[in-house]
Amino acid sequence: MKKLVAILMAALMLVGIVACTAKPAEQPAAEQPAAEQPAAEQPAAEQPAAEQPAAEQPAAEEPATEEPAAEEPAAEEPAAEEPVAQGKVFNIYAWNVEFKGFFEKYYTVPEGVTVNWIITPSDNGAYQQKLDEALLNQENAADDEKIDLFLAEADYIGKYVDSDYTMDISKIGFTNADTMYDYTIKAASDVNGVCKGVSFQCCPAAVIYRKSIAKDVLGTDDPAEVQAAIDSWEKFDAVAAQAKEKGYLMTASFAETFRAFSNNCTMPWVDANDNLQFDPQITKWIEQTDNYIKNGYTLTAGVWDPEKTNEMFADGKTMCFFGPAWYYNFCMTNAMDPEKGCVGDWRIVMGPQAYFWGGTWLLAATGSDNTEMLKDIFETFTINEDVCTKLVENEGQYPNNTKVAEKFANDPNWGNTMILDGQNDTAIFAELAKDIKWENHTNYDQILNEGLQNKLQEYFNGSVDYETAMNNFYQLIKETYPNIKLPAA
Amino acid sequence: MEKIQTGTGKKLKSVSYAKWGYIFIAPFFLAYIVFTLVPQLLTIYNSFFETYRIGLQQIGPNFVGLGNYKALFQPDPNGTILILKYALNTLILWIAGAVPQFVIAMLLALFFTSTRLNIKGQSFFKTVIYMPNLIMAAAFSMLFYTLFSRVGPIQALLENWGVIDHTFDFFAIRVSVRGMIALMNFLMWFGNTTIVLMAGIMGIDQSLFESATIDGANSVQVFFKVTMPLLMPIFVYCLITAMIGGIQMFDVPQVLSKGDGVPNGTTRTLVMYLNGYLKTRNLGMSGAISVIMFIITGGLGAIVYKMLSAPYKDQNRKHRERKGNVL
Repeated sequence: MKKLVAILMAALMLVGIVACTAKPAEQPAAEQPAAEQPAAEQPAAEQPAAEQPAAEQPAAEEPATEEPAAEEPAAEEPAAEEPVAQGKVFNIYAWNVEFKGFFEKYYTVPEGVTVNWIITPSDNGAYQQKLDEALLNQENAADDEKIDLFLAEADYIGKYVDSDYTMDISKIGFTNADTMYDYTIKAASDVNGVCKGVSFQCCPAAVIYRKSIAKDVLGTDDPAEVQAAIDSWEKFDAVAAQAKEKGYLMTASFAETFRAFSNNCTMPWVDANDNLQFDPQITKWIEQTDNYIKNGYTLTAGVWDPEKTNEMFADGKTMCFFGPAWYYNFCMTNAMDPEKGCVGDWRIVMGPQAYFWGGTWLLAATGSDNTEMLKDIFETFTINEDVCTKLVENEGQYPNNTKVAEKFANDPNWGNTMILDGQNDTAIFAELAKDIKWENHTNYDQILNEGLQNKLQEYFNGSVDYETAMNNFYQLIKETYPNIKLPAA
Repeated sequence: MEKIQTGTGKKLKSVSYAKWGYIFIAPFFLAYIVFTLVPQLLTIYNSFFETYRIGLQQIGPNFVGLGNYKALFQPDPNGTILILKYALNTLILWIAGAVPQFVIAMLLALFFTSTRLNIKGQSFFKTVIYMPNLIMAAAFSMLFYTLFSRVGPIQALLENWGVIDHTFDFFAIRVSVRGMIALMNFLMWFGNTTIVLMAGIMGIDQSLFESATIDGANSVQVFFKVTMPLLMPIFVYCLITAMIGGIQMFDVPQVLSKGDGVPNGTTRTLVMYLNGYLKTRNLGMSGAISVIMFIITGGLGAIVYKMLSAPYKDQNRKHRERKGNVL
């Protein structure tokens, strides 16, 4: 009897251990219920879309667009068989819920498919770490656990595009790229020009300024006149001095203008021989910021810090902010605060230098078993004019669809009422979008761009001297990418 | 019964129930081998290789011998050896938190166990002082960050009082960031230490305290001559576990300094350094740091144990010797 009890207990313990070891494999499954919740919410989100028959049109249109392809029956056949092979679970990796919101509003998930959102914040590289592990395990994962779609940002998109973990979207039937902005295609293409995904937005960035402060500083708040006053960096600096005299700040973060410089670089951060190089644009940014900090034209806060965004309240003292269309939703919620905000006191102009900032791309993961749906999603958010129109009208986005963008840019009745009191920002962005180029990007950009800002912030806020800050930056590079050759000290 | 079994008596004697003991502890050892020992050995193995990722592209593994260790101890252009700097940070942060932690914990443990004070509502106080330990370190850290940030309430309050001006930044000053980390570690762990030390003190025979008092010892004498020597094993245990925890300090400074060890890397601990290498899955360098930390931990543990338990051991030996003499 005693033995029996002992054996039982030992067996129990062993079971416990086995259960423990099995856990890692089970985890994704265990996560599903949580991840499924949004999917469960979807029917509700779908309804409005279903009410708008227009939103469903793309699905209805598809057979029509595919018909020409029917001329090649050989190519069509496997495609026709595909629906049978489509998976039931669609996994999307993302770092925030921005796209999730659009997806649930404007995309109708095919019946019987569950959408799984695996959202990991990008803080300290957590998103990429999780994504990388999943991608490296993609081959061995069960079909329903394979990543189908994942999101990537401009700073590190190259890392995924230049790998075999993303697939050629023309192979899944997405070929209609005419209306997309060229740079969004280039960004999502590998070295051989094979496109691996699309972006649902185009991110030309401009200067968003406070009307009332501009009036006080420049004596005018008219966008055309303000633009004339700040259309070069020299003029911009001069206005900064004027603003200071009146007790205002020109910008609210030392890194506010960083992207305007860094996305106009004429050479990549790292050359073909792995040498680190400082583009004149980067040096120019450092000089400008140094000058701004010393003269009190800006703050030592980072671009995402509350100290900066608090400047967007009505009692803020800052004149200019730099950002693209997504900036409204991401950074300007304080400006839209019903009590302390100042909606309508904002105008947008092109500013001293055309540039772009950020952007989210949707990349097709190799091994996806939901290729039909992938193609569908890509089309919905790029060539579906109806959805793109809604993205502009309801979400304040700038679409990755030249036709829709032009339509709004040329519409005298169109204006952004969300924050700009009816000014047509699409017209400004459309003008800027023409000048966006995707070049001189490397896979190291994220660490280098963010690292430089973080380490220099310590110099700007006075905790270290310039040499130490730069040395800290070099040590960070050494630690992260030992292959990069640093300039001789 | 016994007589009947005499034939098999010898056999019976060799049936050892010890094997059941082994079977019972086997699951732990299996788990230990699979989840701790093997990874540990792999870490040591990996520390001799160059292996990291650029994006999704794997570099190596290439055998580099002690190259990773050499790289760790190479001074940067300013002449600082980073690993030593971070080790010193870790030590300072730990000591700054651990000294008050042990002093306060010891005092509280004495108060709570003192029959003379006989504090009422002990379980309430014990729960309260243990509370901070139940909060996730990262959450606690986030709370401090929010409180002391540039737009936080403390900054606003001090500005209102005119103590500091607008440009003041708690996170740009070495002492204040280190102080916050030490304070948090102290707050989180003193309750835990108090309870363990109390258990230790309560395990001491009350008659010893009584007889010491009767012999005319004052409370300071009682503490140093009776409580402390008898508490030593528990105290050493507490100290060693606290020290191991201190060397592995990570979450509090990581969250508080946004992973950067501001200002100027003065709050960056060894594990944060290690974690920095893991961004690119640099198993070679992070493995080498792990091995060094393993050696430091082991060494410090041995020293503390030797130092603190030596007098206690001596006493034990003398005690035994005296007993032997008497017998």
